Amino acid sequence: MNIQACVRFGLVAFSSLWVLSVQSADRIWIEFHSVGDHSDSKEAPILLRGSDARWQLAVSQDGTTGPIDVTQRAQYLAEPSGIIQIDSDGMVRPLQNGKATLRVSRDSIQSEPVTIEVSNMDNPLPIHFGNHIVPIFTKYGCNGGGCHGKLAGQNGFKLSLLGFEPVEDYEHLVKESRGRRLFPSAPDQSLLLLKAINASPHGGGQKIVQDSHEYRLLRRWIEQAMPFGSENDPVLASIELIPRERTMERDSMQQLSVIARYSDGSYENITRTVQFESNNQDMAEVTPTGLVTTRQLAGDVSIMARYQGKVAVFRSSIPLGASPTEWPEPKTNIDRAVLAKLKKLGIPPSKKCDDGTFLRRVTLDIAGRLPTVQETESFLKETDPNKRSRWIDAMLESEDYADHFANKWNAILRNRRTTPESQFGSFAFHDWIRQSFYENKRYDHFVKEIVTASGSIESHPPVVWFREVNNVESRVEDAAQLFLGQRIQCARCHHHPYEKWSQSDYFQMAAFFSTLEKKTGRSNQDPMFVSKVANPSAAHPKSGTGLKPAGLDGKTLDLEATGDPRQALAEWMVDRSNPFFAKALVNRYWKHFFGKGLIEPEDDLRLTNPPSNPELLEAMANDFIASGFDMKQLVRDLCNSETYQYSSDANESNLSDSNGFSRFYPKRLQAEVLLDSLDKICGTQTVFEGLPTGTRAVALPNTAFNSYFLTVFGRPESSTACECERSQTTNLAQCLHLLNSKEIQSKLSDPNGRSSQWIVSPYSREVHVRELYLAAFSRQPTPEEEASALAYLAKKEAKLHEGYEDLVWAILNSKEFLFNH
Amino acid sequence: MGVLANHNSLHRQFPKITLGSNIASSCQRGFKVKWHFARPSCLRACHPAIATLATLQFPPLPPCNCRPGPQQQMPLLGTHPLMVAHFSLGLRYNKGSSLPAYEPPSLTLPHSLTSASRSKDEEMLTVVGRANPMCDGVSRRNFLKLGGLSFGVGGFSLADLYRAEASKGLGTSSHKAVINIFLGGGPPHQDMWEIKTEAPSEIRGEFRPIPTNVSGIQICEVFPELAKRMDKAAVLRAVVGCKDRHEAYQCLSGWFPDDLRNVGGRPSLGSAVSKIMGPTDPAVPPYVGLAAKTQHGPWSDPGSPGFLGAAYSPFKPDGPGMDNMKLNGIGLDRLQDRRLLLKSLDGLKREIDTSGTMAGMDAFEQRALDVLTSSKLLDALDLTKEDPKLVERYGDGKPYKYQYDGAPTCNDHLLIARRLIEAGVRVVSLSYGRWDSHGQNFKLVRDHGGKLDQCLSALIDDLESRGMLDDVSVVVWGEFGRTPKINNDAGRDHWSQVSCAYLVGGGIRGGQAIGATNRLGEHAAERPVHMQEIVATLYHNLGIDPKASALVDPSGRPQHLVDHGPISELI
Repeated sequence: MNIQACVRFGLVAFSSLWVLSVQSADRIWIEFHSVGDHSDSKEAPILLRGSDARWQLAVSQDGTTGPIDVTQRAQYLAEPSGIIQIDSDGMVRPLQNGKATLRVSRDSIQSEPVTIEVSNMDNPLPIHFGNHIVPIFTKYGCNGGGCHGKLAGQNGFKLSLLGFEPVEDYEHLVKESRGRRLFPSAPDQSLLLLKAINASPHGGGQKIVQDSHEYRLLRRWIEQAMPFGSENDPVLASIELIPRERTMERDSMQQLSVIARYSDGSYENITRTVQFESNNQDMAEVTPTGLVTTRQLAGDVSIMARYQGKVAVFRSSIPLGASPTEWPEPKTNIDRAVLAKLKKLGIPPSKKCDDGTFLRRVTLDIAGRLPTVQETESFLKETDPNKRSRWIDAMLESEDYADHFANKWNAILRNRRTTPESQFGSFAFHDWIRQSFYENKRYDHFVKEIVTASGSIESHPPVVWFREVNNVESRVEDAAQLFLGQRIQCARCHHHPYEKWSQSDYFQMAAFFSTLEKKTGRSNQDPMFVSKVANPSAAHPKSGTGLKPAGLDGKTLDLEATGDPRQALAEWMVDRSNPFFAKALVNRYWKHFFGKGLIEPEDDLRLTNPPSNPELLEAMANDFIASGFDMKQLVRDLCNSETYQYSSDANESNLSDSNGFSRFYPKRLQAEVLLDSLDKICGTQTVFEGLPTGTRAVALPNTAFNSYFLTVFGRPESSTACECERSQTTNLAQCLHLLNSKEIQSKLSDPNGRSSQWIVSPYSREVHVRELYLAAFSRQPTPEEEASALAYLAKKEAKLHEGYEDLVWAILNSKEFLFNH
Repeated sequence: MGVLANHNSLHRQFPKITLGSNIASSCQRGFKVKWHFARPSCLRACHPAIATLATLQFPPLPPCNCRPGPQQQMPLLGTHPLMVAHFSLGLRYNKGSSLPAYEPPSLTLPHSLTSASRSKDEEMLTVVGRANPMCDGVSRRNFLKLGGLSFGVGGFSLADLYRAEASKGLGTSSHKAVINIFLGGGPPHQDMWEIKTEAPSEIRGEFRPIPTNVSGIQICEVFPELAKRMDKAAVLRAVVGCKDRHEAYQCLSGWFPDDLRNVGGRPSLGSAVSKIMGPTDPAVPPYVGLAAKTQHGPWSDPGSPGFLGAAYSPFKPDGPGMDNMKLNGIGLDRLQDRRLLLKSLDGLKREIDTSGTMAGMDAFEQRALDVLTSSKLLDALDLTKEDPKLVERYGDGKPYKYQYDGAPTCNDHLLIARRLIEAGVRVVSLSYGRWDSHGQNFKLVRDHGGKLDQCLSALIDDLESRGMLDDVSVVVWGEFGRTPKINNDAGRDHWSQVSCAYLVGGGIRGGQAIGATNRLGEHAAERPVHMQEIVATLYHNLGIDPKASALVDPSGRPQHLVDHGPISELI
């Protein structure tokens, strides 16, 4: 296999010299897996054991730029005939025992011969319920959450969700309902089969075709008197996708083949029983048979194959193929990883944005506000080549940075004020968060102090997190989602359908919180939290066994009854080797600055949800760890990168790039920032009940301050740990509010506001228009814009006040104002 | 906005696609299915599997020019969401805009119409496509995707699908809708639709049953008008699953406030419908809560959006959202001036945002400006625009007796509800009366019941005469039942073991009394109907399969709308 690979790559390199003379196709071959001892063998270990065995081939040929898939277009010749049968789509089925030699050919190029061995046609292997029958239920959706897989089952028949509990499934199928579901003496009359083919009316309709492969397998299993398999039977160890990676052209196809490996070293091809899913259907689609079709968009796309809780990923790059004469030289790790990907895809990045755009962009992102007119003017004048990074540093040192990021974290840390009594705690916690950012507390310390918070709110404000996140389940789930990017909620009631987390994993995490006790403090809303002396343990909901604490994928811990188990949890979390902790944070921050996470949603780091640029995520996480979890350094790294400073304007080829970050993707200002910015432009202040005048919306200590504006623009209620609670979508109510609300109109016509001041100002209208543009967009108006604005003011000569109001109104309703771009 | 005159000829060119049973059944299961609209040759070339999934009956399309614009938007697809897909070409144009005459051989596909030639308010009905035309020029983005239980994978929401359906422009047939009439406080189940004639007098009370126009069904004497319309309605005499809590929440959602509280709670039916189906008209909210604030707050709960978030809250006609629909402080002329000024200054290149947010905002802005000149919603809320005779037929429900801290018996609300639905609202919730009859139960029921009899019968007649009865489901119910034994104040206390409900319209099989309590009216004796079955029936009537549809909560888990299926006797 290795030899073959070497030869092939050699040929690829060689053939590139001959592009002009050779159209394509120097060589054709069958893609193989590297199973166990066979990995070095040149001969393909294709074994078909028993009449149910199938083997999906994936055939490749050298193309001009690399291997291409020709499975559907190749000719197959097996000798001697009669041993195997091959479909035109590369599916091999056994006919009788023996060995056959397979040759694949296309355009008069022939592959090396491959031996295929067929055995056990007369004495079929015993069927294993968990390994062979359950996957059928999963593939055809029988055990899905919408059908028999839901907690209550469907019409009296229940299967475990996605087949994670074969023992239960076996009980339900074979023993429940007085055994009427299966008839070994007349297998075809089994209710299971009659329903599946819809011969007996079935709510879910026809699932499988009579006499199909699956039907025959089920039938044979019933015929064999429904063996479950024994404890010593091999279990599924892993699945492997072939090929794993490929550069694909737009509008091209790739056949995937999937191998299951078992604990005893045996393996089989399971392509047709696997569930495939594309993570970006705008780029590529995949059929249930594993045929990937790319579309017109360039970029990276991943195809997931799921089978019995195991996942394998096929990564495909679809290059745009633009080849600009020069690529920018990367200066930082971020740029290096981004450019590496862009180069691979042939997507040249946009130019660097101008100073005004940068200033507005970075001030909004770090400090949550617009730069002032004075700041803009002096920044534009400044000639220091390092002025951008100096500005970033200045912003990070400002209180506005602390306000803005406290606002972000406050929501996901669920700092709520639900009753008047909870106000003290809510204010204290907000202040603590804000102070942490202001002081640049290390992120690991920040998290540790929250997770291990004990005592009263006065002594340690983060205990508010335990007050608001008020039961073991939500603590486990919030902590995992917030700090580890793991959504383990599913595993509370059943095995996580798209992750490896089982109920044991969930409750081992829960055990960390099992000794925490709430004590009455000053009042019910001002409680104290302590860890009682006890052995931490949580009962598995099915078996009832007490489980000792363990981090996800971590070691089971034997902890002293006298200690606080949360300490151990925090240590496991923030350990440098924790695979989730740093990645979850850097991805969350990437999303904050770039508008789109490397993983979306940003707090859902799943094997089945791979990042758009894994190398970038890895590099950033490593840098973040190496910096000592320095939050400001992370922001500095992000904002100083060329990538962050690309213009949002597209060049001739990168308009459609949506996940390569070859240009800046515009984002709507979030509710609080928008309201503050409106006030800045109008020269007004929004007053929040009970807070001093001048308190900015972004500095509000919690989300309980009434504001229709903030609600309608999607401020979260901080009732979940998910950033998705903040809504960035647009709707009619928002537009109506901006265009025509008493609130906005009163800001426009405020006697102390900008338009009122202009009326009495000694300066000319040109100056006012320029001032407005600098304040709102951090740039001077273009001559046309200035002309339009002045013409309008001239038209409104008689009611100049109205003219100014209307001008401000138009600016704050413009997209350039509403977006950070 | 006019519908393209030769729509029918277009329609003939793009006949139905009937999907094979495999797709239909996967749709039912809620799994992801994609329906592609493209030229069949192209379709097959790009995705052979699709050709096997659907029976395609396309006529050959005329050749078209691929014009890769910066951003393409296609007001193209109409579809039926579940089971059988019906694809048709629905194009709408602004009145007066010049249209290319439809000649099949020279037809340019809709994508090649430039944005300028299309009305802006159309764009919101469309889905933003990207500059990636296929060989036939149809943007790849313009596929309708039916997203089911997908985790974090982008795709169109069901709402897009329904919106696309709305954009078909297939005429004015009324849409499916629900009016949820909440009888706050808990009406006495034994004094409404099932009089316990065989119970002793201290339980039976003073009401006598009267016959209805369905032989064998008798209801309480205070509902003579409803008795005459019994053939259209169903009474549920043994509703179970309620809790002894004075909250509209259970009747608005089928759940309790504690359910899924950690992720924000369960959404009410109207909020779920808003999420799944979206608005019928972008200027009309899909969900309106009419209940005016009551002293006991949970009785005027208009419905919670739960984990879906504030964007899916019901529109309340007394909030700031309402104020914003009327011009505030400026006249129409000035608004026009501002509009022109904005147009000349709002020059940011829209193409830089490929997420569609900016285009969406433009479209909403246009719609908002239209709303300010004339609003269907405000008109619907204004009863002076209704025929006075009809207003009189509904009655005004005054005097508001027995109200205390509960809702008034405001008959107008039922009429407004009908007007709102005509304007495009999908779900209207309202709170009618205060039925918490701890004292003077019988006087209260006589008062409230008589008024309800008048306005509810008027609503039934009204909906029927407008041909809307089969589309609009009306449910009338409270949070629980009341004690069998009459207390010392001639009242009945809380009794959550059993409750009752009245359903009419929405295409249900009327003329039925379902379930029964035992002789003393203490508990369900026959065919108990779970509260959620009622909610599931409402979903079903709206065209949403409650079993197959799920909403994804903030933790990423799909949550089913309800755990029970619809009432099989009714559908």
